[in-house]
Amino acid sequence: MSALESRTDVRTVRAGGRPGVRPAGYGLIRIKAKGHGGGRGGHGGRGGSFLLHRRSALVAIGLALATAAACVTYLCVGESFIAPGDAVKAVLHTQWGLGQATPNDLVVGTLRLPRMTLGLMVGAAFGIAGALIQTVARNPLASPDIIGVSQGASAVTVGAMTYGVSSYAVLPYLSVLGGLAAAALVYVFAWRGGLQAARFVLIGIGFAVALRSITHLFLTKGDYLVAQQAKVWMTGSLNGRGWGEATPLGWALLVLLPGVLWAARAQRTVSMDDDTATALGVRLGRARLGLVALGVVLASMATGAAGPVDFVALLAPQIARRMTRTAQIPLLCSALTGAFIVVTADLLARKLFAPTELPVGVLTAAVGAPYLIHLLLSSGGRGRKGGTAA
Amino acid sequence: MSASASTTGTSPETSPTETASANRPNRLTARELTLAYEDRTVVDGLDLEIPDGEVTVIVGPNACGKSTLLRALGRLLRPRGGAVLLDGTDLARIPTKKIAQSVGLLPQTPVAPEAITVADLVSRGRQPHQRWWQQWSEEDERAVTDAMERTDVTALADRPVDELSGGQRQRVWIAMALAQETDLLLLDEPTTYLDISHQVEVLDLVRQLNHERGRTVVAVLHDLNQAARYADHLIAMKGGGIVARGRPEGIVTAELVHEVFGLDSVVVPDPVTGSPLVVPGTPWQAAEQG
Repeated sequence: MSALESRTDVRTVRAGGRPGVRPAGYGLIRIKAKGHGGGRGGHGGRGGSFLLHRRSALVAIGLALATAAACVTYLCVGESFIAPGDAVKAVLHTQWGLGQATPNDLVVGTLRLPRMTLGLMVGAAFGIAGALIQTVARNPLASPDIIGVSQGASAVTVGAMTYGVSSYAVLPYLSVLGGLAAAALVYVFAWRGGLQAARFVLIGIGFAVALRSITHLFLTKGDYLVAQQAKVWMTGSLNGRGWGEATPLGWALLVLLPGVLWAARAQRTVSMDDDTATALGVRLGRARLGLVALGVVLASMATGAAGPVDFVALLAPQIARRMTRTAQIPLLCSALTGAFIVVTADLLARKLFAPTELPVGVLTAAVGAPYLIHLLLSSGGRGRKGGTAA
Repeated sequence: MSASASTTGTSPETSPTETASANRPNRLTARELTLAYEDRTVVDGLDLEIPDGEVTVIVGPNACGKSTLLRALGRLLRPRGGAVLLDGTDLARIPTKKIAQSVGLLPQTPVAPEAITVADLVSRGRQPHQRWWQQWSEEDERAVTDAMERTDVTALADRPVDELSGGQRQRVWIAMALAQETDLLLLDEPTTYLDISHQVEVLDLVRQLNHERGRTVVAVLHDLNQAARYADHLIAMKGGGIVARGRPEGIVTAELVHEVFGLDSVVVPDPVTGSPLVVPGTPWQAAEQG
C-alpha cells in the first residue's frame, strides 16, 4: 500500500535555497496578481493560490470517464439496443435540434435520457449529502438514510399519499419538508450546548426507527393500491421519472453549488477535534450546522425526486475516500461515485430481469448491505479510535 | 480554605520586564473572571494579567482550575461572568478567526483527523491566515517549514500521524501551533505523555521561542520544578484562586508549597540554573531522624 503513496514534495522555494515543506501529494496552483510586481507572497498580496490533491484530481478524472461510459451504455442498452453513434445523434437532435430526426428519438430522448439525467443528479446529491453528514458525525456509518432524513421524507410522503395527495408536482416538495423536519428534530434533540457526534448519530438512528414505524402505520391504514404505489416510491425508483423531477433538482444543485464549494473548505477543520478547530479560528457550531443543513437539503431533494435510494449516501463517500486516500472525505469524488453508482444500478435494474424492471433502490441495497456489514466489522477493530469520535 | 482568604497573602506583582512594557498595557488580561461547568463553579471573580513577552506558567494541585483558566484564556470555555480581554476587547466580541491570528492554543488531548500526514496537519496551523482563494502562500510555506524544523519533525513530513510515537506526535502538534505564528501561545500541559528528555526538549523550545521571537507563552505544567525552572512569571493556583504570582525565585518557598500542595518540602537552589528546586520532605526519613 505504501508503495503507491505519493512521495514528499520538497522543493526549493526561496532564493536562499532552503527547501520548503508542503503537504505531500498536493500540487500548487498560483495565480499572480497583475500590476503588483512586488514579490511578496504574503496574504496581503492579491494573488490567489490553490492546493490541489493530485491523487484526488486523477481519481475524479477517472470517475468522470467511468460515469460517461456508464451513461453511453445506459442510452444504448434497453429493450432495444441502439448503437452508441445513433444514441448520440438522437440526443443531439432531441435536445438541441442538431442533425436530423432519427427513429431513436423517442426511446433515447424521451425515455432514457431524462431518466439517466435524474439518476446522475440523484446520485451526486446523495454522494455529497453522505460525505457532509459523515464528516460532521465523524462516523462512516452516518448517512441521511441512517439518521432519519430519508425516513422523515418517507413518512411525510407516504402520509400524504394515504390521505389522497397523488400529484407528483407536490410530493417531492412534501418529501423535502419531511426530510428537513426530521433532521431539525434530530439536531435539536442531540444538542447539549454543542453537537456531540456520537449523540447525533444515535438519536438519528432512534428517530429513523420511529419514523419508519409511522410510515408503516400509514401503509396499513391506506388503500391497497396507494400502499402498492407508496412501496415502490419507498424503495427508490427512477421508473417513470424524467425531466419533471430532474429540472427542479438540477436548479437546486446549481443554487447549492456555492455552498458545496464552501463546504469543501470547511470540511478541513471540522474533521479536527473541537478544541483544536476553535483554536484555529473556526466557528465550529456554525460550520457544523451549515454542513449538516446542506447535506440534509441535498438528501431531501434527491429523496423527493427518486425516493430514498438506499445506501448510496453511505457508500459513495466511503468508496471515494478509499480511492483518494485523503484525510477528509472528498466531495467531488463522492458526487461522481454516487452518480456512477445510481446510473449503473438503474441500468442493471432495467436490464437484469427484463422485461420486469426492478426499483433501483433494490440493487443499491443488495450491494450496499454487505458493504455496510464490512464497514461495521472493520470499524470494530478500531474501537479506540471510534471512541474518540465523540 | 476559601480562595479569597488565600489571595490575601499574595505579594504584589513584580514584572521583570516592567521597563520594556511600562507604557503599554499587557495584551491578554482577565477581569472578574468566573468560570463554571454546568452547576460547579471552578474559578470565581479572578483578575489576571499575562505579562507580554514572558513565559508564564500556571501550577497548582489537580482540579485547582488551572486548565479551566487556560481554556478560558483561549476562548474554549465561555466565562460565566467577567471577561477575558485581548488588547482590551472582550474575547467574546472578537471574531474567532481574528483571535486565532494572535492567540495560538494547544489543547491537552488534541485529536488528528484519521490518516492525516504530519506535513498536512502542521499546515493546518495556517488556517487562520488563509482564505479560500489563498490556500497556500509563500508565507504559509515558510511558516510551516520553519515550525517543522524547530520541532525537528521535518523528517516525518509524509508519515501518518497515527503511526507516530507519543513524543513525536506531541512535537507535531506543537509544530502546528507554531505554524500559526501567533504572538501569544497557550499550552495545556504540553509535556504530558513525554519522557524526561522530550519534556526538557519541549520546554527548551518554548524558552527559545520566547527568547528569539519575543513570544508570550502561557503554559499549564504539572511539575513544580519544571515550572520554577522555565517560568519568568509563575502563577500558583489553589481552589480556583491565585495564591501567589511573580518570579519563581521570589515566591517559591516551603511555605507556599505547603499552602498550595499541602506538602512538606525543602526548597534549595537548582544546582544548574539557580532557580528554586522543591525537594519533598519525606515523612519516613523525618521520622528516622526524629
